[in-house]
Amino acid sequence: MLSSTNNSISAVHLTSNIRQTIVAVLSVTFGISMYVFMNSFMTGVNKSQSDLAFSTLAHVRVYNDGPKDNTNLLSGHLSNNQLVNIRNAKLIQYTDGIKNTKGIIALLQHQPEATGVAAQVNINVFFRAGATKVNGILSGVEVENENRLFGTAKFVTQGNWGNLQYRTDGVIIGSGLAKNLSLKVNDNLNVLTGDGVSKNFKIIGIFETSIAGVDKTKAYLNIASARQLLLKNQDYVTDIMMNVKDYNLSSIVAKKLAPQIPYKVESWQMANGQLEAGSSLRDIIAKAVSLTILLVAGFGIYNIMNMTVNQKIREIAILKAMGFSGTDVTQIFLTQALVIGCVGGLAGMMLGYLVADAVNHIPFKIAGLSTLPMAYEQKDYVMAFVFGIITTFIAGYLPARKASKIDPVTIIRG
Amino acid sequence: MTTNIALRATNISKFFYQPEKFKVLKDVSFDVQKGEFLTLIGKSGSGKSTLLYVLSTMDTDFEGELEINGVSLKHKTQNELSAFRNEHIGFVFQFHYLLTEFSALQNVMLPALKLGKKSKEEIEHKAYEHLEMLDLKQQALKPANRLSGGQQQRVAIARALINDPSIIMGDEPTGNLDSKNTKVVFDIFKQLARQNGQTIIAVTHDDDFALNSDRVIELSDGCLLSSHTLHKHGF
Ligand SMILES: Nc1ncnc2c1ncn2[C@@H]1O[C@H](COP(=O)(O)OP(=O)(O)O)[C@@H](O)[C@H]1O
Ligand SMILES: [Mg+2]
Repeated sequence: MLSSTNNSISAVHLTSNIRQTIVAVLSVTFGISMYVFMNSFMTGVNKSQSDLAFSTLAHVRVYNDGPKDNTNLLSGHLSNNQLVNIRNAKLIQYTDGIKNTKGIIALLQHQPEATGVAAQVNINVFFRAGATKVNGILSGVEVENENRLFGTAKFVTQGNWGNLQYRTDGVIIGSGLAKNLSLKVNDNLNVLTGDGVSKNFKIIGIFETSIAGVDKTKAYLNIASARQLLLKNQDYVTDIMMNVKDYNLSSIVAKKLAPQIPYKVESWQMANGQLEAGSSLRDIIAKAVSLTILLVAGFGIYNIMNMTVNQKIREIAILKAMGFSGTDVTQIFLTQALVIGCVGGLAGMMLGYLVADAVNHIPFKIAGLSTLPMAYEQKDYVMAFVFGIITTFIAGYLPARKASKIDPVTIIRG
Repeated sequence: MTTNIALRATNISKFFYQPEKFKVLKDVSFDVQKGEFLTLIGKSGSGKSTLLYVLSTMDTDFEGELEINGVSLKHKTQNELSAFRNEHIGFVFQFHYLLTEFSALQNVMLPALKLGKKSKEEIEHKAYEHLEMLDLKQQALKPANRLSGGQQQRVAIARALINDPSIIMGDEPTGNLDSKNTKVVFDIFKQLARQNGQTIIAVTHDDDFALNSDRVIELSDGCLLSSHTLHKHGF
């Protein structure tokens, strides 16, 4: 039970040495604001990194990962006393691409986590313009779906993404590719497939994702034109891309889908381990730095509370002589610590927001960014406050317990 | 008959171990009647303050038995003793000991607020009455550290009285007071003993003060020397 008498004693203690109280509050404010800022910054960095990565990368990708290992065709068919000699074995029939695409797309679209599904026909080709030849990927896409998943339209710097829908002879190529081939919009681009088919396309747009590897090697065209180029039917697809609500859960979705689909189902984490490692490491650094700052702030409060208890040792003895119990004394000092923690915590959340907002305005023009990235998530603020209160509670509890154990006679006797 | 006994000390002994083992109190035994005004005298260093701390339940490191209002206090926990002191014992320390960050009025009110048996308004009203009785009404709202030594001592006396404790103990409660205020305090104590049946145990160096009390007991080197009944107390 909280006693109002104890609370009013706490209030007198807090206000009678206001400067000391302010210093304690400021140390909490500083700790919490740094926690908020560090975590908002790291969340912001991670978000901008994933936005960048997911401009070409799907959360989950379904594809045919090639023929199975056929180097030992007869294993399992032979008994020990048989000898067989096969030379120069060749695969004479192999289906690439995905069969039964409609069924798989329908399955993916019915997943509750799904936010979008897009089919692609990706072809390894040589792009040729005059004497220059560049190896790259021609990506046949469902124009609308592709944009829904990757926001491709916003990377198109010249021309219009939507035109791909109607221009069966049109391609939109990466800025790096255009530069290497010395091509611009309305120029012709020759494409040579692995099967030796050659065809001319018209460049109707240029895109730039700011990922050099993509910009230098990729070109988009309508999925129907891609099928035509390969002489495939209307069902032919090499990759099915799927996005889910929370990309952190992609692996789980992929695992769930794998047994239902006879092709490789791969989450972005499997395909790009380094991306996930990078974002986890940044998270760990942010947590470590901010918890260290909170710990230092905690030490500050501990010191101040300890000092207060030492200064008030005589007062504590008198309170106990008058009939206040050890529990009352603990309560009196713990209340002070918690008031300091709450006031410092609220101020810290505000200061943290202001610092984050200021840093968010610092120009930073690299890789598609214009200012330093920043996230404003309720979770970061709540966590900062909770950690702040826990820290002050512990930092206040130790001196408070010491105060409660003071033996009044020893002090009063002198 | 224990019903009339406010306090019973039986064979109380106490040692100090610093700087060396030393017996301060040696088998002290005595009874104090309800409503009795007892004074404790003795040379400086004879153990008066030490005995008073034992009787007040603050010092629990002693041998022997202590009973107040028929309750044995030997095996109570610190928190139980705190609660017991709060309700039954008022104490005036040798060196006044007020809470300096609080006003005189707040100092007087605190034990009653802790006890929590009356409303804040009642407590404040009663605290004002006590301060007025000790000629401190003008000082009520001043912070305790702005008061003179004598004023602080009188505030401490007002504080000891606020919960109407059955026993009031004072360690030279008039040590800092002029003769006029000493007389005021003496009269208050006498009146509390006579009219309310509250028991007073006061250490004093003031012969007049001692000689006008009901009974004087003298301590010498930790031994109880003599007990003189001067006035038969009663209602
Ligand atoms: N904390 C202590 N440690 C050791 N000796 C003490 C302590 N307090 C008091 N004494 C000694 O105990 C004796 C009694 O002290 P005290 O009760 O204060 O005497 P009085 O109040 O009668 O003057 C003295 O000899 C004093 O020096
Ligand atoms: Mg003394």
